[in-house]
Amino acid sequence: MLSIDRPVRQSDYNCFSSTTPIVIDNGGSHFRIGWAGESDPRVIFRNTVQRPRHRATGETTTIVGDHDPALIKYFDCTRSSSRSPFDSNVVYQFEIMEYVLDYGFERLGAQGIQVDHPILMTECPCNPVSSRSKMAELLFETYGVHSIAFGVDAAFSYKFNQQLGICDEDGLVVCSGLATSHAFPFIRGEPVLDACCRTNIGGYHVTDYLKQLLSLKYPQHMSSITWEKAEDMKMEHCYVAEDYLSELELFQKKTKEAEEKTRCWQLPWVPPPQEEPPTEEELARKAALKEKQGQRLRDMAAAKRSVRIMELENELRGLEDLVQELDEMDEHEISSFLSNTVYSSRLEIESALQKVSQSLRKARGEPSDSEERVDVLSAEKYPLIGIPDEKLTPEQLKEKRRQTFIKTMSEGRSRAKQKRADEETQKEKQIHQDEEKRCENPELYLESLRAKHKELSERIEQRKRLKTNGSKTNGSQNLNGAGGRGERLNAAQRERMRLLTTAAFDRGKGEDTFGARDEDWQLYKLMSRDNDDEEDEEDEAELARVTSRLQDIDPTYIGPLQPTNISQPARITPQTAEDFQIVLGVERFRCPEILFQPPMVGVDQAGLDEMVGVLFRRLYGVDDAIKERISNSILVTGGSLLFPGLVPRLEAGVRKIRPYLSPIRVVRASDPILDAWRGASAYASASQFSSQTFSREDYYEKGEDWLRGYHIKYAH
Amino acid sequence: MEPEVVNSEMALPAVLPFKRIQMSDKYPKAQSRGRHWKHLKQILQAENFPENEPNYLSIESPPSIYPPKKFCDVTGFKAPYVDPRTSLRYASPDVLKCIRYLPNEYVQRYLSLRNAAIVLK
Repeated sequence: MLSIDRPVRQSDYNCFSSTTPIVIDNGGSHFRIGWAGESDPRVIFRNTVQRPRHRATGETTTIVGDHDPALIKYFDCTRSSSRSPFDSNVVYQFEIMEYVLDYGFERLGAQGIQVDHPILMTECPCNPVSSRSKMAELLFETYGVHSIAFGVDAAFSYKFNQQLGICDEDGLVVCSGLATSHAFPFIRGEPVLDACCRTNIGGYHVTDYLKQLLSLKYPQHMSSITWEKAEDMKMEHCYVAEDYLSELELFQKKTKEAEEKTRCWQLPWVPPPQEEPPTEEELARKAALKEKQGQRLRDMAAAKRSVRIMELENELRGLEDLVQELDEMDEHEISSFLSNTVYSSRLEIESALQKVSQSLRKARGEPSDSEERVDVLSAEKYPLIGIPDEKLTPEQLKEKRRQTFIKTMSEGRSRAKQKRADEETQKEKQIHQDEEKRCENPELYLESLRAKHKELSERIEQRKRLKTNGSKTNGSQNLNGAGGRGERLNAAQRERMRLLTTAAFDRGKGEDTFGARDEDWQLYKLMSRDNDDEEDEEDEAELARVTSRLQDIDPTYIGPLQPTNISQPARITPQTAEDFQIVLGVERFRCPEILFQPPMVGVDQAGLDEMVGVLFRRLYGVDDAIKERISNSILVTGGSLLFPGLVPRLEAGVRKIRPYLSPIRVVRASDPILDAWRGASAYASASQFSSQTFSREDYYEKGEDWLRGYHIKYAH
Repeated sequence: MEPEVVNSEMALPAVLPFKRIQMSDKYPKAQSRGRHWKHLKQILQAENFPENEPNYLSIESPPSIYPPKKFCDVTGFKAPYVDPRTSLRYASPDVLKCIRYLPNEYVQRYLSLRNAAIVLK
């Protein structure tokens, strides 16, 4: 099919006299125009118009037919789509039709002030008269055509094939176009439209069905499955199954035959760059780099430490000097001397000295022994505590208070220390007991430990799940929409909800007094608290203990199940070329099947084979002999009936309908696409053509009703 | 316009010498957009067809005399079952599993392929 090739403007328009008819096959998908008597149309283009805005100039341009997709970047197509003058198979948009005709005549090379030629144009069978008259009006008024003839494309195709000897004088034509399929008989070379039969299924529906099915099957490649691509696939790969059900069975059983019939379309796909495992060298280099960085950090830390030690040493020395000086000084000199320093008393200096020496020891990494010393000193350090308040001066009282504070602090510290020590011994004792137990019966011990571990980890897991909504447990219910509002909340949220509602009910009676009493506010504390936090922590600590114990003594223990381990295999597997393949299996014959079974796409009409049966039923009062002759010459034509396997299928279908042993012959037209134009061309070049046309005067004089009765005679 | 656009002759010239009435005269800018063309349905309603002559409506094929065969909406195979929840037809239990995972939008698209989708008006 012609697709992107733009038709060339013909230069020999002037060579034709004004009596040479112009022949137009105005098809749903393609517009074909040429000169009567020639074997092929001069210009063929898709019967669509697009009116995008030119980006640079902002003008609305009219583009008829297909265009080079590379050039569309200069146009803004957001507000315009491809439009056709047809609704089903009837022309209704005469503005679009005018653009199409403009382009057709322009490409044909039309010159002069009007198109001064008779025109033969195709139309659908039983074209509504308003459409026909508007078309005539357009040709007369706008182009100045002097005479017109309208004929049915399928009839021209039949006549052309009759001339070729492919079909007989009596016969029938089955023709399928873009939007519709027709079947009508010929008796003595004339079509009998009383018996005509139209089903609103055509090539458009086949392509659309294929496109929809594929984009539903491969939602991830929806953008790749364009209309054009679907059309290409339809023309290249689709076929009609001779027996649809058995063909389906072949595919359902996944037989070898079906496999051979499956086609695969590989979408453009670039494999992602392979991540090579790092080489030894690289690993070594990385390790070295890491080591170097570590060393640098260590060096920095060491340098910092030495600086700190030096500083502390200096400070210590200064303080020692100060103390020495104080020792040498007299009592009265001390106060004046101290006022020069930041310290207010000798005691303070001593404590500072102690502090510095302590931190120096710490910095050097020596064990501290200050606490014991403090303990030892405690009695002497707090001399004022034992003395009753009455005996003290205000200053001493202050000092006493300070001493009391320090004392309680240090006592608390020592108590905590004691407790820690106790706990340690307790733990040691427990470990000891454990060890004893283990020694007694290692197997049993291990078993119990494992059971405990399992129980604990399960309990913690359970609690976690409850807290974080528990979407894992009732997720499936949520998916099905069975979960109510309550189920969508997690435990904490539910608890909060409950508290709020109870608060509302308790206090909301009469008037809103919430907050009037202090305990009302306790509610928020309750709300924000996780009620089983403590329990949780205890369990977790216990679990950690058990786990470490297990690690120590159980060689088969593989460690706690880390969630990362589980999610590892769920990681997205890298995409392969197969993910970018579109497989055409059943679709290859499922889509054309709608021509035979329109109910598959929701059109409640007879399919192609049944249409032939309907046609015979509509032939009232016709001799059986003629009917037999008709069924012996069935011509298949039209762009949608090119599918391989269609002719035998149609023959089988008609055989079921026709009486037993009646002769049946189904033939394909010599060129199902171009024969209509060729037949029309031959028709228009015959001498009788001028008697079949009507002129502008005829049209205006006789009016629309006359146009309704206008039928050309096909048989000369 | 860019030279390659001009060279491709893709744009239809605004004025064509062989026309008696130019497009711009016939459909002035303001009018062209408002111009409504009757759709086929409206055309057919307006038409008064004479009796005893075939017309666009009378040549329409009747429904098939055979009961329509039921095919799986997803796989295309013969479908003995119907899923009551989505009302999709399916061929085998495996397909049912797939159907149950389909989002409603896809279910509706599958149904609309055979004109069985729920249309809200």
